[in-house]
Amino acid sequence: MPKCIIDGREVEFTPGKNIIEVAKEVGISIPFFCYHPGLSVVAQCRMCAVEIEKMPKLQTACSTVPTEGMVIKTKSDRVLQAQKATMEFLLINHPLDCPICDKAGECDLQDNSFGFGDAYSRYTEERRTYMDLDMGPVIKKNMNRCIHCTRCIRFGDEIAGIREMVAVQRGNNTEITTSDGRALETDYAGNYADICPTGSLTLHDFRFKKRVWFLTKTATVCEGCSRGCNIDLHHDAGVIQRCTPRENLAINKYWICDEGRFNFHYVNDESRITDPVLVEAGHLNSVEWASGLDQARKLMAGKKALVLLGSDLTQEEGKLLKEFFPKHLPNAQVFHFGTPGVSDSKSDADADKILKRKSKTANLHGMESLGFKPFEKAPAGCEVALVIRGGRAVVPALNGLRAIGIGVFQKEHAKDFSVILPGASFAEKDGTVVNFAGHEQKVARAITPPGQSKLLPEVLMMWINQKAVGAA
Amino acid sequence: MLVKKKKNPLQEIYLIEILKGLFITIKNMLFAPKVTIQYPEQRRNYSERFRGMHYIKATNGVENCTACMLCPTVCPAECIHIEAGERADKEKYPVKFEIDVLRCCFCGMCEEACPKDAIKLSTIYEMSTTHREVYDKAFLVEQRGSK
Repeated sequence: MPKCIIDGREVEFTPGKNIIEVAKEVGISIPFFCYHPGLSVVAQCRMCAVEIEKMPKLQTACSTVPTEGMVIKTKSDRVLQAQKATMEFLLINHPLDCPICDKAGECDLQDNSFGFGDAYSRYTEERRTYMDLDMGPVIKKNMNRCIHCTRCIRFGDEIAGIREMVAVQRGNNTEITTSDGRALETDYAGNYADICPTGSLTLHDFRFKKRVWFLTKTATVCEGCSRGCNIDLHHDAGVIQRCTPRENLAINKYWICDEGRFNFHYVNDESRITDPVLVEAGHLNSVEWASGLDQARKLMAGKKALVLLGSDLTQEEGKLLKEFFPKHLPNAQVFHFGTPGVSDSKSDADADKILKRKSKTANLHGMESLGFKPFEKAPAGCEVALVIRGGRAVVPALNGLRAIGIGVFQKEHAKDFSVILPGASFAEKDGTVVNFAGHEQKVARAITPPGQSKLLPEVLMMWINQKAVGAA
Repeated sequence: MLVKKKKNPLQEIYLIEILKGLFITIKNMLFAPKVTIQYPEQRRNYSERFRGMHYIKATNGVENCTACMLCPTVCPAECIHIEAGERADKEKYPVKFEIDVLRCCFCGMCEEACPKDAIKLSTIYEMSTTHREVYDKAFLVEQRGSK
């Protein structure tokens, strides 16, 4: 491999990678704003300027590829001077509103200003200000904070496939806006907030909820569809506050769709059932686990049962249930269910050209590989149904069968069930899911199950071992 | 080894020693400068830098606080609880601002961290109550201390 010299270190590099990436591999960080590994290179923020021997002027590291024997200096006096000047220019019109900005704490502008800028501003003139138009339900814009890196414009153009952000006017008056000031249309709008290096584009959903330094990140996998995008769940004190994409070049690159991003809301929703309940004439009676289980077993006893497993369960849970039913409920007929219209992996396909898949559950392909059959119609003679699901699979019509539910249910589900035993959602359990291409990925536990909810293995153990209430 | 000090007989009966001690007491009672004050009627003046009861500064009736959460971040006792919100005249303001005074250790770091000069510690030091006190926003804004 060819070699170049960065800050006096000999560095081997793959031809074609730019200086920022090559330097990053050996732990030398070059500050930048407009560069993003998933987007095209425009070199317009000028923050990544580096000095290259035999070149008269500073070069931008994002748009320069190293060549054999190139000598690059990222911390020379000229470079530091240029970085300081660039920072000062970028901060000329930037308001000093970090205390109310949601980006504060994870802001590139803040970090680079601290690392490379000056602590004082020499600017005394009036700052430019804008009136902000509404940008739809996902993104909140604050143009005053913008540094014109055009990452959002390029994202819409290159990734989301819709050129909805544009830069109007020129120079100091540049304004990033949607054409005609209409609302954002793309289903991937949340990414605008992630890639924005300042607080210009922030999420409505996360607005003023939490400062980012209070949040704990748990690396997990999205359960929104069979793509299995890698995500980070940000949570504090047992409440999930937001969800951001995690880089995985093989699956979702740097992005995630809005459906997956805002999917976590049901986890901490008020309408989620977190106690074992008996449903009597549409009324929910919270009971103890023992009597809930008792009632469920009584309903199931000796009857021919239809068992529906959501394809949002993990592989571990699927395997456990596969061994559980022949032993303990021999009359059961077991099927998996998930998305209406997408019963098996053959009918699962790309729903758009970016990330979304038709199957709206994460583990359809895994459940199928475990040998479960897709549910189409209740077989004749079934008297009672047992539905086990995570939070995502859509419960099919049960045609008036008495039903028992184990898993995550909302209050509006309750009318179809007689007994509901609360279980854990994807954010509350560890496990494995298999995506459409056969990648096995780990789902990690971020928070503890709320209320009296229990993990599925625990429920099954109680089902087997716990004696009926009142029995000696 | 314990050495017993020999005392002379006058010391042995203690009378003179008691009178000596009594003399010092009487001298201090009558002539020494007084260090105690008649508390509820008389008050001591504390330094302006004294760290007592909290208050939130307001400008033209609007609280200075923008709910930036820097005070709960630095608070070592974790006694400040803020919920942020938005309203027409202010982009970000504290919907809820509570100080659990029983947890507070009066270190004054909240005052130091505040970028808006909003949370302050006054010189009020009489804060004993008969119940667990949590100062809410209305109280803190109203409460301007002796400053």
